Amino acid sequence: MNSVPLSAYLVLALILFCIGLYGALTKRNAVIVLISIELMLNAVNINLVAFSKLGPAPSISGQIFSLFTITVAAAEAAVGLAILMSLYNRRKTVNVDEMDQLKH
Amino acid sequence: MNLDTLLSYEWGHMAPEFIILAVAALLSLLDLFLPKSYNRRSLAWIALVGILVAVVSLIGLLDSKSVSILHDTFRLDSFGKAFKLILLIGAACVILLAESYEPKEGLKEYRGEFYYLFLTGLLGAMVMTSSGDLITLFVGLELLSISSYILAGMRKKNPGSNEAAMKYVINGGISTAITLFGMSYLYGLSGTTNLKEMSGAMSAQAANGQFLYLYGLAFFMVLIGLSFKLASAPFHMWAPDVYQGSPTPVTAFLSVVSKTAGFVILLRIILTLFLTMPGDDTQKLSFLETHSIYISCLAGISIIAGNVIALRQRNIKRMFAYSSIAHAGYILVAISALGYFTFDAVWFYLLAYLLMNLGAFAVIQLITDSSHSEDIADFAGLYRRSPLLAAGFAVFILSLAGIPGTAGFIGKLNIFMNALMTDPGHFVLASIMIAGTVISYFYYFGIMTQMFFRPAASTEKIKVPAGIGAVVVLALAGTILFGVAPNTALDFLHNNFGSFNDFLK
Repeated sequence: MNSVPLSAYLVLALILFCIGLYGALTKRNAVIVLISIELMLNAVNINLVAFSKLGPAPSISGQIFSLFTITVAAAEAAVGLAILMSLYNRRKTVNVDEMDQLKH
Repeated sequence: MNLDTLLSYEWGHMAPEFIILAVAALLSLLDLFLPKSYNRRSLAWIALVGILVAVVSLIGLLDSKSVSILHDTFRLDSFGKAFKLILLIGAACVILLAESYEPKEGLKEYRGEFYYLFLTGLLGAMVMTSSGDLITLFVGLELLSISSYILAGMRKKNPGSNEAAMKYVINGGISTAITLFGMSYLYGLSGTTNLKEMSGAMSAQAANGQFLYLYGLAFFMVLIGLSFKLASAPFHMWAPDVYQGSPTPVTAFLSVVSKTAGFVILLRIILTLFLTMPGDDTQKLSFLETHSIYISCLAGISIIAGNVIALRQRNIKRMFAYSSIAHAGYILVAISALGYFTFDAVWFYLLAYLLMNLGAFAVIQLITDSSHSEDIADFAGLYRRSPLLAAGFAVFILSLAGIPGTAGFIGKLNIFMNALMTDPGHFVLASIMIAGTVISYFYYFGIMTQMFFRPAASTEKIKVPAGIGAVVVLALAGTILFGVAPNTALDFLHNNFGSFNDFLK
């Protein structure tokens, strides 16, 4: 089990985070954007759990932190989807680039 | 943990938080069980009374020494008390604005939610001001953010409001993730989430270049994530849209309470962790001193971008969004020029900004609601329609522009002096500040021209509701008092909070 070094987890988390950031900044569909944000938050969870087990100063508080992150991320996703629903009811679109009324 | 340890904590020090929490819970229950036909407007007064009781209980705690409870996750030090006071006063004014808020299509059955979501947001901000742990900081930040997302989309039938809320959720989510990623490195390297222990661990590890490099990475991610929340350029893109689309009381809340909370968390994390940590192998300069150039860049770009782009706005709320970006830049100048007076300067500026901005938003809400448009031309001839309101708005604008005799001037002067007094002096930032202030005269005085010299479209007199009237009078009194006699506020600060000596202890 312990043969996987910490750096492997960190690189995995970093890659996930970058994919998430890329998706959040470039995708048209708002649902995909919300999923990409979840990806970024899950990268953080991997980091926290890996550090709490294999870090230079292992401690349990990383796992507790990740529990909070998961909960809050769920709340944020719920609110995001609810807002997307009410937007869809008015505008019949989920595409981010069509949400451009507020410019002038 | 057994019952004895639980009871041994001095829960009295969390009284303001508990009061806000109880009132928010009470309001949500009342909103649920009251009959549908009942006018929810009266709930605003309960919320207001709750906030005022919280202010009183906070004033009762002013004399107590710095305490930390709950395993040092909650600490009531002078920093927490001073900024909590600003947050509570700001929230009380926002509730008054929300009481009088009447959009075109009405708030209908959502009016109850409108009030208690402000309270939960306020609770999040208050938890942030006095937390000594990354986890509580994060939970407070998210409580504030999620409440604000819903508040921004409160006008469900209004496409602008929906769009603003969606943009806010996406931008807020990305910024949260970036901040958290930085925090996960901070935790992982130091092995603790407690800010004080973390600071000790970081100072010990900093001699190792590799650790220093990773801490630098974490510093950047936290700084970038938080500058989204502060709406400082170049991470300000969401602010104009969200400010424009949200209901006006929510815009006021975002520009005052949310921004104050952003500065609080920035100071808590950056100062506690990076002030004592050595910044290079030679261990001569602290990390913050070697890296303050990045905060300076944020400040400079915010001031220039905010003021220049505000010049060509026709929508009053959008213009105030850019002006608030510029004001965030001014406060960042104080943080980047870290000195003995930084806390005083930031606190005073936030107080002055709260008064002048809330006063301005009270007038904006009144005018935009009655004309159903947000064009600056709606302010034409305000002087003939309501001379007192026009005079009040003029004072707020003069204060925002930083004209002597107003609180805004003293705030700017403090920051300016602070930037020059530190060693080495921040001359470039100080000159950018002056240039930005001069540019801001153009758009601020554009509104004045509209009010005093343009003919009004209608000569109808404006009726001022009680809530808005109260906010305007309070903000006006504060703006002029702290402008003419700033020592009343500064003496209060020094007598009650000293010079924030217990911040790092």
